Amino acid sequence: MPAIVVEGLERSFGDLWAVQGVDLEVSESEIYGFLGPNGAGKTTMVRMLTTLLLPTAGRASVAGHDIVTEASAVRRSIGVALQEAALDPLMTGRELIRLQATLHGIPRRDGERRADALLERVDLADAADRRVGTYSGGMQRRLDLAAALVHEPTVLFLDEPTTGLDPVSRKTIWEEVEKLNREGTTVFLTTQYLEEADQLANRVGIIDSGRLVAEDTPGALKAQVGNPHLELVLAEGSDDAAGIICEKFGKPLPAKDGKVLVELERGAADVARVVLALDEGGITVESLELVEPTLDDVFVAKTGYHLEIEEDEPEPSEAGQ
Amino acid sequence: MRNDLRVVRALGVRSVKQTFRRPQLMAPIIMFPTLLLAVQTGGAAAALNLPGFPPVDSFLQFMLAGAMMQAVLLAGNSGGIALAVDIEMGFTDRLFAAPISRYAIVLGRLMGTAVLGAVAGLWFFLIGLVFGAPVADGLPGALLSLFLVVLTSMVMGGIGASIALRTGKASIVQGLFPFVFVILFLSSAFFPQELMVEPAKTIAQVNPLSFIAEGVRRPIIGGESAGDVAAALAAIGGIGLVAFWLSRSALRHRLRTGG
Amino acid sequence: MSRASNRATIAALMARARNELLRVPGAAIPGVLAPTIFFLGLNGVFGSLVQLRGFNTDSYLTFLLPVSMLQGAGFTGAATGVNLARDIEQGWFDRLMASPAPRWVLLAGMAFSASARALIPAALVLIVALALGASFPGVLALLIAAVLVMGMAGVAAFWGMTLALRYRSQSAAPLMQAGMFLLVLLTPAYAPLALLQGWLHDVASLNPVTKVIDAMRQGFVGDVSWSDTWPALLAIAALLAVLGAAALRGMNRFNARA
Repeated sequence: MPAIVVEGLERSFGDLWAVQGVDLEVSESEIYGFLGPNGAGKTTMVRMLTTLLLPTAGRASVAGHDIVTEASAVRRSIGVALQEAALDPLMTGRELIRLQATLHGIPRRDGERRADALLERVDLADAADRRVGTYSGGMQRRLDLAAALVHEPTVLFLDEPTTGLDPVSRKTIWEEVEKLNREGTTVFLTTQYLEEADQLANRVGIIDSGRLVAEDTPGALKAQVGNPHLELVLAEGSDDAAGIICEKFGKPLPAKDGKVLVELERGAADVARVVLALDEGGITVESLELVEPTLDDVFVAKTGYHLEIEEDEPEPSEAGQ
Repeated sequence: MRNDLRVVRALGVRSVKQTFRRPQLMAPIIMFPTLLLAVQTGGAAAALNLPGFPPVDSFLQFMLAGAMMQAVLLAGNSGGIALAVDIEMGFTDRLFAAPISRYAIVLGRLMGTAVLGAVAGLWFFLIGLVFGAPVADGLPGALLSLFLVVLTSMVMGGIGASIALRTGKASIVQGLFPFVFVILFLSSAFFPQELMVEPAKTIAQVNPLSFIAEGVRRPIIGGESAGDVAAALAAIGGIGLVAFWLSRSALRHRLRTGG
Repeated sequence: MSRASNRATIAALMARARNELLRVPGAAIPGVLAPTIFFLGLNGVFGSLVQLRGFNTDSYLTFLLPVSMLQGAGFTGAATGVNLARDIEQGWFDRLMASPAPRWVLLAGMAFSASARALIPAALVLIVALALGASFPGVLALLIAAVLVMGMAGVAAFWGMTLALRYRSQSAAPLMQAGMFLLVLLTPAYAPLALLQGWLHDVASLNPVTKVIDAMRQGFVGDVSWSDTWPALLAIAALLAVLGAAALRGMNRFNARA
């Protein structure tokens, strides 16, 4: 039985359609990555599947229970860590997890035992009796994750679990998610980070403006886009002329960060020809980089724009070298 | 100097817009005193029968000044809270980093409080007109009372601003409100001083808010007003000086320590 | 969910509310002190009203005390609504709503915590009033007063929570406070019913909280009797039922909109 089944799910707020006719299925023990920019409908989708928001139309079931008619049963089966870590700064970490255990009807002694084990698992044992308000962002996320696991849910919803975290904290969360999945937990993960979806997800669904525009394994999605592309940093004022020249070698792509992009069918084999043609056209290439397809390319192919601007781009290779 | 005035005006306009764009925040400043006025007028109106109660047309006419005083205290508190929120949000850092007079930052906020005070005053005059308690001294009397109300709201706003600057926390400014209220109760804002119960009576005799309340009330209930108005202006001036000193000290502390 | 787990959830929510008192004591002080401050202020201002014919006591302190205790209950209950609004704004409420705990259990936990906390400002104003010479009402009257204070706090909590669920913002706080303010003061709060004038006399005659105040004044002013007590208990029960239903409805419909 699939862990999550969504059929024509929709949610509108007045004239704004946050989610439009989404169909998807998530198998048991799968990590499903739901990828999209801010405002795409990811959080709305998670809130509907976790019974926090009623859909306007369509149906969905989680762990075999309808999200509308069997909402209580859904809540018993799911763990939820939302975009805003819903923590009480006045409680200690231990108190919070014990409260979560109580909310799920776990007897007191069991709840205490599970709290201790989970705090150990997410490396918060030393901070367990400190108030949550003193925790760092990474610690809060780990605590939120631990709280979502106290009742050993079969399906775990993580809404942008690593947004705002440093790389080390992000990696810790990823490792924990992978471990949970190996233990059999189905994970529905929303993210705006390509790398996160690429690394973690068995399958990725790309959502844009409330619609599911693509869905497959990361490898298959990238293979659909196919070709690598060349990123060129040119002398000022020559982008338009360069675009005309590059059209002869491949398909121009939307510019990004001031660079001219062109998709090359034959990949590295065409790089020299492009550089030569630009040189003959009197255009100076200040730097270039050949980039293999990424999920951002998939996103561009499906939506026409980039999902994210990379914050720390690797140094491009010098022209001709 | 000219630039400072422009800055005061710009910040004042912002302060006024902030207030009127969130009616749910403005409403209590008008609503609470109105509710209390309604309840007290209905509940304690029999006080007119007490020997020594001043000659008035109605208990409502007597109480209007108290309601206005309550509103300006709330307005001052509200201005302090708004400034504290600006501090918490970091907006004041933006202002401190600009080449403007520090005092302009506070004065701009006080402009908003003054407008709120004026609105409150006009509201209660309207209540009086509708429910049969017009101003005995007519339009000149109403304008005089309104002038005192606006000045009072500014100095109360100054007190609120000084607390905001000192603490930087909206919750603390808000939490001090009940204490401000007790000072108003220990004045002749709601009842004639002569008929109050000790020790409230003695405190009311020296409470500056009593002088202000009497100054605001005199044109409403009629009678010789020069002495009451002069006393009110002196009390407002005194509170204003205290507010200025506290604000200056808090501002300096904040600029020196960053918090 | 079993009855034991429902009880455990209610206890856990009450413990969380207790944290706010113990771990941020400064935050609770205004709510605890405010009724006493108003009590002292109102007595100072209107104390001489007691000279008028119609008061069954010569101590305005004693006459006013039950009102101030109820006001404290109103403040405490309204604060519960404000806290819920804050929890909604900060996302904590999502954690409760995503759990399998029944909705009525979540409401009950918050309402019970308000009822328990309301005894603190009530006790403070009582102690201050007795120190200033108010008449001691007797143990039975105090017990009745305690029950009514706790009931009123529950009423105020349901009112506050209904508004919190409707507006989802702490900016609705004045509405929460004003509602309870009116409910308690549109009664023979300042003077006996016979001395109230005009519209206030009519409203107070119909206001169920008038019965509550009359019952709370037992012992302080006059004797304790069942005939003065049961209408108050009925009034509180009716208010709890109506406002509790409104709060539950708000909770059940909460996920209908973002």
